[in-house]
Amino acid sequence: MLLEAKNGEETVVYKAAAASVQVLVEPVGRWFEAYIRRRNRNLSASFQELEEEEESSEDEEDEEFQLEEHPMLRTLDPKDWKNQDHYAVLGLPHLRYKATQRQIKAAHKVIVLKHHPDKRKAAGEQIAEGDNDYFTCITKAIEILSDPVKRRAFDSVDPTFDNTVPSKGEGKEKFFEVFSPVFERNARWSSKKTVPSLGTPDSSFEEVDSFYTFWYNFDSWREFSYLDEEEKEKAECRDERRWIEKQNRASRAQRKKEEMNRIRTLVDTAYSCDPRIKKFKEEEKARKESEKKAKAEAKKREQEEKEKARQAELEVVRLAKEKEEEEARQAAQQAKKEKEIQKKAFKKERQKLRSTCKNWNYFADNEVDSVKMMEEVEKLCDRLELTSLQSLNEILASGSKEESKAAVEKQVEEVNIQLQKEKESEAQARQAARSAEQASGGGGGGKGWNEEDLQLLIKAVNLFPAGTNARWEVIANYMNLHSTSGMKRTAKDVINKAKNLQKLDPLQKDEINRKAFEKFKKEHTSVPPSIDKATPSERFDGSEGNAAPWTTEEQKLLEQALKTYPVSTPERWEKIAATVPGRSKKDCMKRYKELVEMVKAKKAALEQVEAKNKK
Amino acid sequence: MAAIGIHFGHTCACVAIFKDGRADVVANDAGDRVTPAVVGYRDSEQIVGIAAKQGQVRNAANTVVKVKQVLGRRFDDPVTQTHRTETKCPIIQKEDKPYYEITCGEQTQHVAPEDVAKQIFNKMKETAQSALGSDVTDTVITVPFEFAHSQKCALREAAEAAGFNVLRMIHEPSAALLAYNIGQDSSSGKSHVLVYKLGGTSLNVTVLQINGGLIRVLSTYTDHGIGGESFTQALVQHLASEFKRSFKHDVSGNPRALLKLMNSADMVKHSLSSLGSANCFVDSLHEGVDFECTVSRARFELLCSSLFNKSIQPIRSLLSEAGLSASDINKVVLCGGSARIPRLQHLIQDLFPDVELLNSFPPDELIAVGAAIEAGLLVGRDHLGPEDESVEVDVSAADILLKELDESGAEAFTVLLPSGTPLPARRHHVLSGEGKLSSFCLEIYQRFMEEQPEQLSKIILRDLQPKEEKHNIDAVVTMKRDGSLHVSCAAQSNGKSEAITITAAS
Repeated sequence: MLLEAKNGEETVVYKAAAASVQVLVEPVGRWFEAYIRRRNRNLSASFQELEEEEESSEDEEDEEFQLEEHPMLRTLDPKDWKNQDHYAVLGLPHLRYKATQRQIKAAHKVIVLKHHPDKRKAAGEQIAEGDNDYFTCITKAIEILSDPVKRRAFDSVDPTFDNTVPSKGEGKEKFFEVFSPVFERNARWSSKKTVPSLGTPDSSFEEVDSFYTFWYNFDSWREFSYLDEEEKEKAECRDERRWIEKQNRASRAQRKKEEMNRIRTLVDTAYSCDPRIKKFKEEEKARKESEKKAKAEAKKREQEEKEKARQAELEVVRLAKEKEEEEARQAAQQAKKEKEIQKKAFKKERQKLRSTCKNWNYFADNEVDSVKMMEEVEKLCDRLELTSLQSLNEILASGSKEESKAAVEKQVEEVNIQLQKEKESEAQARQAARSAEQASGGGGGGKGWNEEDLQLLIKAVNLFPAGTNARWEVIANYMNLHSTSGMKRTAKDVINKAKNLQKLDPLQKDEINRKAFEKFKKEHTSVPPSIDKATPSERFDGSEGNAAPWTTEEQKLLEQALKTYPVSTPERWEKIAATVPGRSKKDCMKRYKELVEMVKAKKAALEQVEAKNKK
Repeated sequence: MAAIGIHFGHTCACVAIFKDGRADVVANDAGDRVTPAVVGYRDSEQIVGIAAKQGQVRNAANTVVKVKQVLGRRFDDPVTQTHRTETKCPIIQKEDKPYYEITCGEQTQHVAPEDVAKQIFNKMKETAQSALGSDVTDTVITVPFEFAHSQKCALREAAEAAGFNVLRMIHEPSAALLAYNIGQDSSSGKSHVLVYKLGGTSLNVTVLQINGGLIRVLSTYTDHGIGGESFTQALVQHLASEFKRSFKHDVSGNPRALLKLMNSADMVKHSLSSLGSANCFVDSLHEGVDFECTVSRARFELLCSSLFNKSIQPIRSLLSEAGLSASDINKVVLCGGSARIPRLQHLIQDLFPDVELLNSFPPDELIAVGAAIEAGLLVGRDHLGPEDESVEVDVSAADILLKELDESGAEAFTVLLPSGTPLPARRHHVLSGEGKLSSFCLEIYQRFMEEQPEQLSKIILRDLQPKEEKHNIDAVVTMKRDGSLHVSCAAQSNGKSEAITITAAS
C-alpha cells in the first residue's frame, strides 16, 4: 500500500543516485545475445541509414531515362535482324551495355505501344504481311536483350565498341591521354567488378604493379557466340547439329584467342610505353648499382683493413727480428771482444813465459839444452791453458831458478804425456778404422760373388719382397740352397751385396745385364743336345707354347681360374686355358708347374729359417 | 540450423546437438552417451573412448588420460609435473612444452597434448555427424572457470584442428544454468544459483547471480584434489584389502591388477548410485585367482564418508565469501558424474532445506546440453559479438526501493529495481493505494547491500478521486547506463501523472 501524501509536501529530489558500476557477465543465454545486439545496433545505426539512402537514390535514377527513337526503325529488314543494333531498335543507343533490365523492359513497353501493328493499323497505316513487318525486329531485340546470356553474347560483339589498340608511337608521346580511355573501354569485359585504373604519373609502384598484374591476368567474359555463322536450330538432324556445333566452337575459340591476343598486345604496348615502368626500372637499377657500390666499397674497406692488419703484423715481426739480430750481433761482438782479450792475455802470458824462460836462459847451460828447452817452452806456450800459463808464470816470477825449472819441467812432462796419449788414441782410432774396413771388405763380400750368385741374389730379392718375415735370412738361406758356388753367406753379406747392387751405376748394371744375356745365350745353345734326355712333360715346353712372359693380368686370370676349377673338375686344364686369353692349355700347365716350384722353394726356405730361429 | 555443444572434461567428453529447437545428447558408436576422454596409441591406429580405456590395462604406457590437465600448460608448470608423476605415459620436455612420448611399434613419436585433444574432438565430431547425418561444424565448447587464456587457446586450437568452427567458449557453470533454462524465460528478476559440479577429478562450486537475464559469477571455488576418481580409489583400497583378506595376496604391487580392479570398482560405484548393493567380479585378478565381492551402498558411503564431507565443505565457505546465506540461494544445480551419488545429494539437500535441487537431467550430460543450447542461439549469426569470454556490462549499483506499508500498517520496502540490473533498464510496476485517499507519496530509496536505505526523492501525486476499490498507479522506473534514474507514475483512473529524474552521482 502506498503512503499517503501529507499536506504541503512537494515532489522533490534529495540526492543523486549511485552511479552505475561495471561487472563481468557470462556470455551465455538469449538475453545476453539480445543485450549485445542492442549495444551493437546503437553504434552502427548511422551506417544503416546511409545504406538505405543509397538504395533509394538508385531507384529514382532508374525512372529517369530518355528514349531516342531509331531513325531507320521503319526501314529495318526483319530478315537481317542479326546485323541490327538491338539497343538502337529499343531506343537505348546512349545507354547500351549500361542499361539495366528495368530500363530495357520499360523502353520495350514504350516502343511496343507505339509500333505494334494493331496500333498502327488503327492509325490507318499499311502493315506488311506476317513476319515481314519491322515490328519483328523489335521482338527480336527484346528477345536478345532480356535474356542475360543472349544479351552478353550481343554485348560482346557490340558494333560500336572500339577494338583498336594504340600503337607504340602514339603511346610514347601522351601515354596517359592515349591509354587511359582504352583501358577504361576494355575494362567492361572484365569478369571482376573492380578494375584498377591506369592511375597518374605519380602512382606508387604497388598501384602500377597491381594494375599490370590485373591486366596480364585479365579474365574476360567476352564471347563470340553471336557471330556464329551456322545456326544450330536450323539443323535437320542430330549429326548435322553436332557438326554445326563443332564449327561454331572452333570459330568462337579462334575469335576468343584473337581477343585475348588483342588484350595482350594492348597491355604489352602499354607496359613498354609506360613512363612509370621506365622510371621504376631506372630507380631499381640505380638502387642495385648503389647497393653494388656500397658492397664493393665495404669489401674494399675490409680488404684495406686486412692489409693494414697484415702490415702491422709484419712490422711487429720485423721489429722483433731486428731486435734479435741486434742482440745477436752485440753478443757476437762481446764474444769477439772477450776472445780478443783472452787472446791478448794468452799472448802476454806466453810472452812472459818466454821472456822469463829467456831470462833464466832456458834453465840450461849449453846451447843444445837451451834449444831443446826452447822447443819445450814453445810447446808449452802452444798447449797450456791460460790459467795454467798464468800459474806457471806466477811460479816463475816468484820462485828461484831451480823452482822455476822444476815447475817448467813438470809442465813440460805433463804436456808431453798428454801429447803421447793423444797420439796413441789417434793411432788406435786409425787402426780401428782400418780393421773395420777390412772386416767389411773381407767377410765374404766383394769377392766371391760370381754372376750366377748375383742373378740368384736378384731373383731371391724379387722372390722375397720387402715385408717378408726375416727377409734377409730367408734370402741368405735361399742363396745357400741354390748357389752353385758352394759359398756360405750370412744375412749381413746378402744385405751388403744387395745394397751395393742397388748403388751400382748404370754402366755396371749394363755390364751385368750383358753378362746375364751372354750366359743365357750360352745356355740356350747348349740346350738342344739335352732335348733327348728331357722328360716328356718338358718336351713341349719350348717351341710350340707361347713363350712370352706372363703378364700380371694373365697371372691373375690364371689364379682365378685355378680357384674356380678345383682339381676334381673334369677337363680342368681346358677350362682354365679358356679363361686365360692368348694362352694354350700347355702354357697354363707349364706356368702352373713353375708356380708350384716357386712356392715350394719359398716354403722350404721359410721353414728352414723358422727352424733355425727356433733353435 | 543445427549446432553442437561439447563438454570436454578431464575424464569424459560429451557431445550434444541442437536441432529443431531442442538440444539432446547423442550416443557414440559404442552406444554410450558419454565418451571417456582417453586416447590409446597402437601400432597403426589411435583409438578413442571406451576401447582405449579398456585397452589401458595392456597398453598403459601408450594411453593418454586426463589430457586436459596439461593442455596449454608449460612443462615446468607444477600441475604438469604432478600429472607427469601420476600418468603412466612418459612425458618429455620440448621447447618448454610437455609432449607425450608414444612408442608405436619400433619408432617413438612425440605427441602434443593438443593433438590428443584433437583426437577426442574428432571422435565427438564423428559422433555428432553420424547422429545428424550431415556435416556440422559450428560448435560451442565449455571450459572450466579457472582455465587460463593459454589453456583456452590450446583447447580452441585443438577443436579447430579437428575441423570445428568454434562459435564461443563458455564456462561450465553457465552452461549448466542454460540447460535448466534458468533465467531465460523472462529478462526481469534477480536470483542466485549455486552450481555444484563434481566431476572425475575435480570439484567446482560456483555461485551465480542472474539479473535481467544476464548471468554473473559471484564467486567460485575449485578443488582438483577430489572427484569421482577419489571415490573409486577408496573403493579399490577396500576391494584390495578384501582380496588380501580372503586370498592372502597383495595386489598393490601389480599395476595391471590394480587397473582391472579400478575398472571394476568404477562399475560398482556406478551401480551403487541406483542399487542398494553391487557385485564386483574380476577374472584372474592376481596370479590366476578370480575375485568376487559384494559391496553394499552403506559400505560404500562409510568408506567415502570423509570424502563426502570434504566435497560438501567448500559450499559453506563459498557462501560466506559471497556474502550470501543458504536462504539467498534460489536454486541448486547438480552436475558432473559424481553428483549422481545419492548420499551426496542428501548432504546438499540438508544444506539447502528450502531449495529445489535440480538433478532431473543426467548430471554428466548437463553441461554439454547447455553448450548445445548456446550453440543453437549463436548459429547463423553474423556478428558473434565479443571474442572475449566475459563482457563488461553496466549494472545498477544499489537496490532502488519504494517505501510502502504492509498489511499490518508497518513501513516496508519494495524493490523497484534490484542492484546488479544491467543498464539501461526499465521496469514497470503497478502500485496500489487505498481507495479512500486522494493523494499519494512515493518515497524512493536506495540501498547498498546490507546498509540502511537512504532516501533519494519523494514523488507526490495529488487530486485523485477517492473511490471504493483500490487506486492503481502505474510506475515506470528507467535507469540509464550512467546510473541516472527516471521515475514516472500515473494514476490509471484519471491519468494524472508525475515524473522526476534523479541524476547519477559522478
